[in-house]
Amino acid sequence: MSTHKLTIEFIINGQKRKIETTPFTRLLDLIRDDLHLTGTKEGCGKGECGACTIIMNHQLVASCLVLAPQADGAEIITIEGLGEKGKLDPIQEAFIETGAVQCGFCTPGMVLAAKKLLEENPHPNIEEIKRGISGNLCRCTGYKKIIEAINLAAKRLTQQLEEEKGKEKNV
Amino acid sequence: MKNQEGQYFSPQQIPEALEILSKYGKEIKIIAGGSDLLVQYHDRLYEIAGWLDLKNLTELKKIELNSSEVSIGAMITHSQLEKSPQIKNYFPILSRAAAEIGSPQIRNRGTIGGNIVNASPAGDLLSPLIAYEAKLVLLSSDEKNIIPAEQFFTGPKKTILKPNQLLTQIILPLPPQNCYSSWVKVGKRKALAISTIALAMVVKMSEDNQIIQGAKVCLSSIAPTPLEIKEVREEMIGKTFSQVNFTKLAQLVEDKISPIDDIRGTKEYRKEVARRIMIHCLEEIYSCWRDKCLPIN
Repeated sequence: MSTHKLTIEFIINGQKRKIETTPFTRLLDLIRDDLHLTGTKEGCGKGECGACTIIMNHQLVASCLVLAPQADGAEIITIEGLGEKGKLDPIQEAFIETGAVQCGFCTPGMVLAAKKLLEENPHPNIEEIKRGISGNLCRCTGYKKIIEAINLAAKRLTQQLEEEKGKEKNV
Repeated sequence: MKNQEGQYFSPQQIPEALEILSKYGKEIKIIAGGSDLLVQYHDRLYEIAGWLDLKNLTELKKIELNSSEVSIGAMITHSQLEKSPQIKNYFPILSRAAAEIGSPQIRNRGTIGGNIVNASPAGDLLSPLIAYEAKLVLLSSDEKNIIPAEQFFTGPKKTILKPNQLLTQIILPLPPQNCYSSWVKVGKRKALAISTIALAMVVKMSEDNQIIQGAKVCLSSIAPTPLEIKEVREEMIGKTFSQVNFTKLAQLVEDKISPIDDIRGTKEYRKEVARRIMIHCLEEIYSCWRDKCLPIN
């Protein structure tokens, strides 16, 4: 089958990219195979497990259920876009500290779901955390430590914010 | 606009989209959020001849309110429905149903138009939409049709939508001041559940809030299409709440449905649960009504 090629443009992890793709390429495959950003995982391929979770246009989405051309003009964050060189995001640190990572396959999606949740709701209760990560399956941890990690990250981020505010005042 | 194999169209304007459909509607797939379509085709995307992607049609991404109705664009996502103050205020069970669909990832992509056109017997928005008397706007390059939502569905995943037509808006009449609704979805888990059975109920009261003037009960996952139990209307309209026998109405719902056995539940289970959730919805509606009637001290 001859497949129509098309060129799309988007911003991924702060970088502008222009790339040739097809109408039948999933965004997940473009991210992994063409951009070699393999932090994003494929689990079920049907939007049930959340391993392929990314943030697209400020929203949590399953990249296995997005066609590559649908991301034309979008702003995308994958797990590689978190933290800075040599410094992890506070959410990633909290996951390590609480032991919320076992096999690690769900972790990129889980961390991004946590990031989105804490952006929208900086002080979530347990039920809100559960709802925030309800699209992400983990078969190792039983979720307990993941929930602990998100709780810890919420505290750290609030603390960080207060410290920054304090500094501003002192200036 | 040559239709090469594997074409991808993403028009900016509705007329352009309709033009594409009149030419290639039989071959290509219309894609909105993709949360159903890409699941169905996840291992055989190569079978699709081409796409009409609705993502650039900003006209379909609006919720508009006028004095008599609310118009919801077909590209409004479940997350938007869940959070919209207008939908929460006038059509609370539509907002609640949207909030329980899939997962955050699914709700951020899946659309109301997609949920309708996909026509799953378990489509979560369908029974609330029918209970609120929704109408659907179907456009083609030569005509505009507005039809009641319940006439749209003909079977599992089957509708009256023609290849040259596009569902553009969902129109909901504004409910009267005294309107009560309740909704229950029964599934096997909290997130990502395909419903085993769901029931939506809307009751409209007279101006003095005493006489029942409208009653719609619609169930999903119990028939090839979402199904209104019309007999409930006859049992309720013109009466006061004290004249309505909840047990009898719930039995009526159980008797009127003939669900099938499938992976999510047996026929017997569904009939039993239908009766119980009907009672639950009646009680919820009754208690909201009673709270509104009680003098505020």
